[in-house]
Amino acid sequence: MIEVTGLIKRYGAFTAVRELSFTVRPGEVLGLVGPNGAGKTTTLRCLAGIIPATAGAVRIAGQDLTADPVAAKRALAFFPDEPRLFDYLTVRQHLAFVARIYGVAHHEALAQPLLEELEIADKADQLPGELSRGMKQKLAIACGLLHSPAVMFFDEPLTGLDPLGIRRMKDSILKRARAGATVVLSSHLLHLLEEVCSHVLILKKGEKIADGTLGDVSARFANGEANVSLEEIFIRATGGTES
Amino acid sequence: MFGALLYLRLTSLRNTMLSRVRRLKQPKYLVGAIVGAGYFYLMFFRRLAAGRPSVHDQGYHGPVTVPPELLSTLLALGALILLVIVTLGWILPDQRAGLTFSEAEIAFLFPAPVRRRTLIWYKLINSQIAIMFTAAIITLVTGSWGFLGGSALTHGIGWWFILATLNLHFMGASFAMTRLMDNGITPWRRRSAVLGLVALVALVTLAWLWRDLRAPAAADLESYRTAAAYLNTLLTSGPLPWLLRPAEFVVGPFFAPDTPAFLTALGPALLVFALHYVWVLRSEVSFEDASIAKSEKRAAKIAAVREGNWRAASGAIKARAPAFRLASTGRPEIAFLWKNLLSTFPLFRLGTLVALALVILIGGLWIDVFPGYRGLQTAASAFAMFMAGYTLFLGPQLARQDFRSDLLNTDILKTYPLRGWQVMLGEILTPVAILSSILWLALLILLLTVHFHQLGWLTPSLRLVIGLGLVPVVPVLCALQLLVPNAAALLFPAWAQTMRNRSERGIEMLGQRLIFIAGQFVVIVLALLPAAGGAALFIFITQHWIGLPAAVAVAAGGVVACLAAEVWGGLWLLGERFEKFDLSAELRP
Repeated sequence: MIEVTGLIKRYGAFTAVRELSFTVRPGEVLGLVGPNGAGKTTTLRCLAGIIPATAGAVRIAGQDLTADPVAAKRALAFFPDEPRLFDYLTVRQHLAFVARIYGVAHHEALAQPLLEELEIADKADQLPGELSRGMKQKLAIACGLLHSPAVMFFDEPLTGLDPLGIRRMKDSILKRARAGATVVLSSHLLHLLEEVCSHVLILKKGEKIADGTLGDVSARFANGEANVSLEEIFIRATGGTES
Repeated sequence: MFGALLYLRLTSLRNTMLSRVRRLKQPKYLVGAIVGAGYFYLMFFRRLAAGRPSVHDQGYHGPVTVPPELLSTLLALGALILLVIVTLGWILPDQRAGLTFSEAEIAFLFPAPVRRRTLIWYKLINSQIAIMFTAAIITLVTGSWGFLGGSALTHGIGWWFILATLNLHFMGASFAMTRLMDNGITPWRRRSAVLGLVALVALVTLAWLWRDLRAPAAADLESYRTAAAYLNTLLTSGPLPWLLRPAEFVVGPFFAPDTPAFLTALGPALLVFALHYVWVLRSEVSFEDASIAKSEKRAAKIAAVREGNWRAASGAIKARAPAFRLASTGRPEIAFLWKNLLSTFPLFRLGTLVALALVILIGGLWIDVFPGYRGLQTAASAFAMFMAGYTLFLGPQLARQDFRSDLLNTDILKTYPLRGWQVMLGEILTPVAILSSILWLALLILLLTVHFHQLGWLTPSLRLVIGLGLVPVVPVLCALQLLVPNAAALLFPAWAQTMRNRSERGIEMLGQRLIFIAGQFVVIVLALLPAAGGAALFIFITQHWIGLPAAVAVAAGGVVACLAAEVWGGLWLLGERFEKFDLSAELRP
């Protein structure tokens, strides 16, 4: 479960996120959408504890991220848009490292099925430099999933993936959500949100324009029209501009 | 078309210079530029401007100190070296000719209606900027080598002739070798042919010399003058002068002792240069494929270098067996030690350390038994002193397997369920282990080889106590030192990031690096003062009551405690900073 109350993030005089409050329950997939510079990535980074919020409270799986960041981070996984890996560690060594950081006992028993599910078991002894972009992404996901996080944050999860990779990523997100994980993802690909997300939160200039289930948000901006696409909803909600 | 390419080159150059000047508005670059300029002035410009010789050339008092006969030997030797370099250029390459273009140049120029010859000409113009800069820097750094005669200007132009002709020659040779490949001559066949030719020429030359010359007698090796005279006879006999002549034309302007000789040497040098120019421009071979491959490789290297990843840039990363088995549970800081050790050479392993220590121990004891080899002790202790000093002062700058290498992975590190100080402690463990190992080995050598016979109070037992006392001091001292560059990476990440990028050049970057090294030195001295002062005072007061060995042992414990407290405080502060750290905001221009 993720509970966000009055989240504010400022950079000097610039406010990137304004008074953001929302809740995501286990099994729900929340899609963060908004034009460029809306504050999606900043919000995700605040929620994952990468950057401190200027004000507000964030609770991850019942743990206050500011008061007890270690306990809160133990329950979450963050997947950046660009997989960040260690050049000198093989796939298998990445998992060994992450297991020690999170204290995952007997990680080998968990790692092997994970590598097989993500179809990188045959690359276990290769370095990131020898992997394709998609394979690197899979390795980053394997590292994030090893400690069975209750909460997952995905920043543009489909960047750089081929059609098959996109399909597998969508299935993987839905599978974790059905298993009870709480998922928040940001993406510009609105059709992904339609397929994967149960809820949506539209941001503009750091401010919440709308949130709720896809049906709720669609109804709010559909103006009584039937079968209005999420793309059209997005354009209406954001006024069709970035500023 | 020439106009457009010239415009591209000149505009790029002007914009590069402007951006360099503009960034001087930032204090870090301005201060760096001032310090760098000061360094250059004091080290090179001052003596060049004053017309004084290099500090290394203290015997130089007149316009030319090298005698004319030695100068001609040097000219022939220079030509010989040039000839060897040129010959290697025909033996070593095994790739098709590929001119180095940037990815943007390939994207814009290759599909454009531009003739190959024009592209070659464009590359030649491009390379001139680098050649002129290199020639100027070499002239500056060598202080114009006044003992050779000539002036800074003639030496600068001389260097330009050498570098520019070599550049043209290599380009022409690469085209010629590509044409040979197109005609089915493999690199190995070409190499065999070149080596065969070289062997034939060497044989003929040796046979000639054998007939005309005698072997060097003892009198020939009496002084450098007699040796030079013999060498001169060797180089000016038989076919050698004819073989060396074209190369002598190229190095001639550099070795010209005065202006008339320089002007005379200019003609032949220009002729060789012009012939090469015509040769290159007339050699039209397909270089596009190789150029594209080269540019992609170069772009990947540049990206790696910009991230400070020099090993990746050199393509030297290999999967390695870890230094030890990492259990799934336990102190998470150890995971960083395990991870970062994987990024070092496999030499840095516990087994290697123990083996080296054993070798040193056995060797040290062996030398002690045989007084005839005492000279080795002096050499070993001098080596150990140098090793310890180098590791202590420059080690933290070189062993960078810590937060500095992980700066760009900060976002991932921050999602780990660890406190900031834990991350920082884990990050410095590897360089601490590496530097401590080297220092411990140096300490062991010094313990075994240094004998202060004149210092009666330095008894063997006291020596042992000092050595053992220093053992725990070493890792805490290394940790303390490593906190400084890691703190710089956390406090000034943009600066640290620029410093990591060794491809960043310019006087301001040199200045920044000098400031950083000086800053680190000052911080360490200040951090050491309380521990060292306290230990000295304690030994001074208590040695008469508890004896010198005991006083030293207790003082060493105090030093360790004091330094450990400073390290702990430093780690805690860095950890606090790490938890508030936002790399994306910090690197924002």
